[in-house]
Amino acid sequence: MTVQTTETASAAEFAGVTKSYGTVRAVDGLDLRLDRGTSVALLGPNGAGKSTAIGMLLGLLQPDRGTVALLGTTPAQAVRAGRVGAMPQSGRLIGGVTVRELLGFVRLAYARKSRAHAKEPPVPALSELMEAARITELAGRRADQLSGGQAQRVRFAIAMAGAPDLIVLDEPTAGLDIEARRELWAAVRGYAEKGGTVLFSTHYLEEADDHADRIVVLDRGRVVADGTSESIKRRVPGRTVSFDLAGPAPSLDVLPGVVSSEVSGGRARLHTTDSDATVLALAEAGCVRNLEVTGARLEEAFLTLTHAGPALTHAGGAHAEGGAR
Amino acid sequence: MIVHYVRLEMVRLLRDPGYLVMSLISPLTMYLVFTSLDLTGESGHGGAVYSMVGMAGFGAVGAVMGSGVSIAEDKPIGWIRQLRLLPLRPLEVVAGRALCAMVVTLPPILSVCMAGAVVNGVSLDAGQWAAVLALLWVGIAPLAVLAIGLGYLLTGQQAQMAGLVCYMGLSLLGGLWVPISRFPGWLERLATATPINRYGELSWRVTDGGAPSLTGVLVLAGWAALFAAIAVYGYRRSARSA
Repeated sequence: MTVQTTETASAAEFAGVTKSYGTVRAVDGLDLRLDRGTSVALLGPNGAGKSTAIGMLLGLLQPDRGTVALLGTTPAQAVRAGRVGAMPQSGRLIGGVTVRELLGFVRLAYARKSRAHAKEPPVPALSELMEAARITELAGRRADQLSGGQAQRVRFAIAMAGAPDLIVLDEPTAGLDIEARRELWAAVRGYAEKGGTVLFSTHYLEEADDHADRIVVLDRGRVVADGTSESIKRRVPGRTVSFDLAGPAPSLDVLPGVVSSEVSGGRARLHTTDSDATVLALAEAGCVRNLEVTGARLEEAFLTLTHAGPALTHAGGAHAEGGAR
Repeated sequence: MIVHYVRLEMVRLLRDPGYLVMSLISPLTMYLVFTSLDLTGESGHGGAVYSMVGMAGFGAVGAVMGSGVSIAEDKPIGWIRQLRLLPLRPLEVVAGRALCAMVVTLPPILSVCMAGAVVNGVSLDAGQWAAVLALLWVGIAPLAVLAIGLGYLLTGQQAQMAGLVCYMGLSLLGGLWVPISRFPGWLERLATATPINRYGELSWRVTDGGAPSLTGVLVLAGWAALFAAIAVYGYRRSARSA
């Protein structure tokens, strides 16, 4: 899939970017171009290099090799010009200040920049900002005394405070419950619908599927898949169908949707991209015994993209956790 | 912009007044004990004046070092990184935070000087009082910048240890407790190169009826430039990890 826009400069561009921590190569020859006005998900398990890539995009980390461009300039300049908003991974809010005081300060930091560059859009009013992030009722609360979901929405408001061209969200929903996720995504969608460019990282295929136009799958610092959610889902088995075998195992890998399978202890586990079709085919073959359909762990799913084959089961934890934060 | 940043950090600070109170207890106590023991070797009024400046300065050093620790504690929650992602120049953030650290030095400076005047009968003319208070406050700037640089570079625990070394070690070496004229010659010469000795010297010269020396001011300015470079480097670097 390619989204052609009339914009000359891309929102962000990685060219041959490599970054290592000691002997661990967190990002390995990354080439990636993000178009303006799109929502892109960086999908991958822990240690895939998502946070490292984002750190370099925001100018917090320097690549060992290659170049990163942000909004047609260097990351440092784009950040200094207040054109990018960011919600880094796993941050908390400071104590001693209210949400209104904190956000007011952040907004003023951006406001001065937009005055200096008359071309830039004005920063939103504080009340508008709080409404967009759904935190109006939290204005008077102490910033460090919010629930996880509330704090993430405040952090989202911080990212939005400068009316940025691009927002970068590093695992924005990690640790949130379903309701909090829903609220946060509603706020993100509001920004995207106004033409903003969104880059977010996530562990969850479902989240990438629901909120991105394009999904870039990273594993061990490399792009292993890149496309629309349909094209990714065709390749990544999202579900595991398991059932008890009555006799010798039939040829399971030829069933519709099945990418790979394994048999142990009289039970078959099929990794499938289309659990409905797989289950229907099993029913026709009379194989439905103690049937269970579960969401596949992402680590397992990714392995099919990198090393397709029977290595699916035990390698899930083998990824290097190379300090990618 | 620096004003908005200072205001935000000051709001945080003032909502935790325990910290401000703590920062004046030990220098005040030590001042009263030291002067009643005549540790300075100068009896009477001279000793009381010398110790007043020394202990006010000592309290100020402790206060700025405490600010370094609170910066180090801001790192794991991601606040420094968040600041780094705002359109603020590193020098602005460092200068703003140093100014906040300097505000915390006011309680120990004012309380020790008040104790000097009220308890020990230190008598200076109005101009001298104004100059001593101003120099004690402004002169702490290089140490404030050092302290926040340590805060950006180190973890909370490390910053606490480093702060303690500066607080006790540099204060002692700088002559805030005992005049450096009572040190052996080599140590005295070494002491005159330290920022804390030159900091105290600004005010001691005034209480002796003179004015700060140009050499002293230049030594302090040199340290200030070095510490500012360290602090800016530390700030930029600290956003990488947390």
